[in-house]
Amino acid sequence: MNLRFFSATGFSALALAASLSFISGCDQAPGASRAEVVERPDQITDFKTLYTQNCAGCHGNDGRNGAALALSNPVYQAWVDDATLQRIISQGEPPTQMPAFAQSSGGMLTDAQVDALVKGMRTAWPANGAFNGLTPPASQPSGQSDAAQGQKTYQTACAQCHSKPNQQVTDPTYLALVNNRTLRTLIVTGRPDLGHPDWRGVVNGQVQPGYPLNDQQVGDIIAYLNSLRSDTPGQPYSPHSQQ
Amino acid sequence: MHWLKDTYNWLERRIQLEGPVKDAILHPVPKNTASWWYVFGSAAFTLLLLQVVTGILLAIVYVPSGAEAWSSLQILNHQLPLGWFLRAMHGWGSNFMVAVVLIHMAQVFFFGAYKFPRELTWILGVFMLLMTLGMAFTGQVLRFDQDSYWGLGIGASIASRVPLIGAPLVHIMLGGPIIAGATLTRFFALHVFVIPGMLLAFTGLHVWMVLKLGVNEWPMPGRPVNRKTYIKEYHDLAHNDGIPFVPGAFWKDLVFSGAILAAVAVCAAVFGPYGPTGQPDPTIIQTVPKPDFFFLWLYSVLSYLPANLETPFLLIAPVLGIAVLLALPFYAGEGEKSWHRRPVAVMVLALVAVSWGTLTHLATFTPWSPVMNAWSGATVPAKFVHNLSPTERQGAVVFQSKQCRNCHALGGEGGQRGPALDTVATRLTEDQLIRQVVQGGGNMPAYGTSLSPPEVTALVRFLTTLHPVGQPGATDASRADAETNSPPVKAQAH
Ligand code: HEC
Ligand code: HEC
Ligand code: HEC
Repeated sequence: MNLRFFSATGFSALALAASLSFISGCDQAPGASRAEVVERPDQITDFKTLYTQNCAGCHGNDGRNGAALALSNPVYQAWVDDATLQRIISQGEPPTQMPAFAQSSGGMLTDAQVDALVKGMRTAWPANGAFNGLTPPASQPSGQSDAAQGQKTYQTACAQCHSKPNQQVTDPTYLALVNNRTLRTLIVTGRPDLGHPDWRGVVNGQVQPGYPLNDQQVGDIIAYLNSLRSDTPGQPYSPHSQQ
Repeated sequence: MHWLKDTYNWLERRIQLEGPVKDAILHPVPKNTASWWYVFGSAAFTLLLLQVVTGILLAIVYVPSGAEAWSSLQILNHQLPLGWFLRAMHGWGSNFMVAVVLIHMAQVFFFGAYKFPRELTWILGVFMLLMTLGMAFTGQVLRFDQDSYWGLGIGASIASRVPLIGAPLVHIMLGGPIIAGATLTRFFALHVFVIPGMLLAFTGLHVWMVLKLGVNEWPMPGRPVNRKTYIKEYHDLAHNDGIPFVPGAFWKDLVFSGAILAAVAVCAAVFGPYGPTGQPDPTIIQTVPKPDFFFLWLYSVLSYLPANLETPFLLIAPVLGIAVLLALPFYAGEGEKSWHRRPVAVMVLALVAVSWGTLTHLATFTPWSPVMNAWSGATVPAKFVHNLSPTERQGAVVFQSKQCRNCHALGGEGGQRGPALDTVATRLTEDQLIRQVVQGGGNMPAYGTSLSPPEVTALVRFLTTLHPVGQPGATDASRADAETNSPPVKAQAH
């Protein structure tokens, strides 16, 4: 066995080993994972994909810090029932900007996909005893509400924060874009990502004066806010500039 | 080893190829053609071989039927070991081949190599370019996914615009009035038999002529081509200052071809196969079909052309372009080869290259088309959500729900049809914003009738918050003035 022959076999063995390891390692090459199956858009039932494509625009990544309600708020998830989620996602919530997503209402999602969203929300954003043993105001209004009483409650419970000029929830333009459901949801479940408290009124560990709110009080505040609605909301110039 | 030589001799006595092959590989070429600039033709040939080999392997598994094509690619991608790699090699090989063929052509043009006596070599080359593009297009169709479906649809609608014979042409192309199984078998036949057959034949002839006419010498300023003297001049150059083609010039071809193959393999391994994207189903409307790499420039051109110029452009420009390429060696068959003496040629080449690059680049992010799911998928950046009044925040919701986001980006996300609005409040006052929203203009639809007054107000209030922290929004000086000093008050004072 001369040296030439030896180096030749050595070389080919090396080449063989290299190509074998290449071939076996190749299925782990980054390119392999790029060959994912593209599902039909109406077959997608992965919650993350559905949520990111359809909801994140308004409700924020991870269901918070969005322009619309924080869906991942555990208090909200504990408070809302599946049927309501199902209905609002399918049919929208007129006259708010929440669109209807079910195909039966002109949207793009199948009923199975709406289901997947509801189920996915429950798993991704668990409620985990968010009520701490307290009972929140109901999700449906009950009994008679009193706007005058509501104004008083508003003064104690809300005005401390909402009298600042740039936090006016009493602005008729704002009120024209929301409905009673929006207000009830916001007052009861809060927007922790923005610093707006839920019905217990806890801010920085301190219960605010006037809290917690009961069912009656929530109804009253909504009645009060409704009494501020205008027949011609959203006129572009503030009244004093038109005088 | 004796038997080897015997077999060889036995064969050679009957085939008698040794002479011609020796002639071909040892024929002298001018020394200065042994340059790295001269390697693109052979690289294109290597890529063609790669495509043939990978193509045959793919054809073993691929099913050219409307119902099964898409799923047979899924089998390749996911069930057969290294099937995905094979697809990736063929896909990337195709991209590289188009690119290398184009570079080869540009180099030939740049070096004046199409001039006498190589006119026919160039003309064959033009047809080979067209066939390469034809392979790229038919290959994209065989992938039979959403992109291919819509690409074909666009191809068919281009064909349908041909006067008189448009409709029958589409019928022949699609094998019926619509894209269906018959379409796929046609394109399969084209992609696998017809075009490759012609391409290989043309390639053979092209290479034959290169060998017979000699590799174009390195162009020297002040040494123009003259039909009467060129052949002799070339002969002298090759024999007096020449080297044998193999190995003198050939080793560079080999090295470069090897490098190109390696590059294809790396791209294939890293970026993976092309698609298939979603299923080719016209009822799926949530799709943004895009042509493959090489046709992107065309996609840009068509997007920017005014609608009434589309048909003339589509039907006339390609014919003109091909005619110019074919006429070139006849129009400029003699004269200077060196780029130092051909300013127009250099400028044309630069112009074509820059426009092609720009159009292709634009097509990768399609600023002209709205992003149809930005409104529901692109989050309003958190910094624009916090510190807003409830009305302003509702305005942000309106901005999403009325799909402004599909044309206007915030925080780098969203469509680019209109300007990004992150700092719009520094440019436009409240009144100007109201006007823009209500009346639209400059390619923006008017929203006056589709928004209620509170929606407009909330939206505009939101837009007025879009300015950097340290920089106040634009204001209308006269408005503040009118509020404090309204004319009636002045009149009373007098
Ligand atoms: C165009 C913006 C927009 C998009 C996109 C959007 N929403 Fe909404 N959504 C709203 C608005 C506005 C409201 C009502 C206001 C509120 O309650 O804050 C709302 C309310 C809701 C509510 C009810 C809140 C309540 O009162 O109980 C649910 C549940 C909801 N959205 C889920 C979704 C899901 C799931 C998606 C994605 C499929 C989605 N939304 C997409 C804007 C949007
Ligand atoms: C501790 C301060 C605080 C209190 C108390 C408070 N809020 Fe808020 N609220 C906020 C903040 C902060 C926001 C977010 C900024 C904004 O919209 O002004 C907010 C937002 C809101 C919004 C708009 C939410 C949205 O999605 O746009 C409504 C409606 C609202 N509050 C109603 C109320 C009502 C009704 C009460 C009384 C029951 C109340 N708030 C009490 C701090 C408070
Ligand atoms: C179809 C795409 C499209 C949609 C949808 C659209 N815009 Fe526009 N927008 C444009 C274009 C294009 C321009 C540039 C107009 C011009 O050049 O004069 C523009 C300009 C603007 C400007 C002026 C920006 C500047 O810097 O001058 C504002 C503000 C604006 N749009 C707001 C909106 C709002 C609010 C909506 C939703 C109600 C909206 N746009 C929807 C395409 C669109």
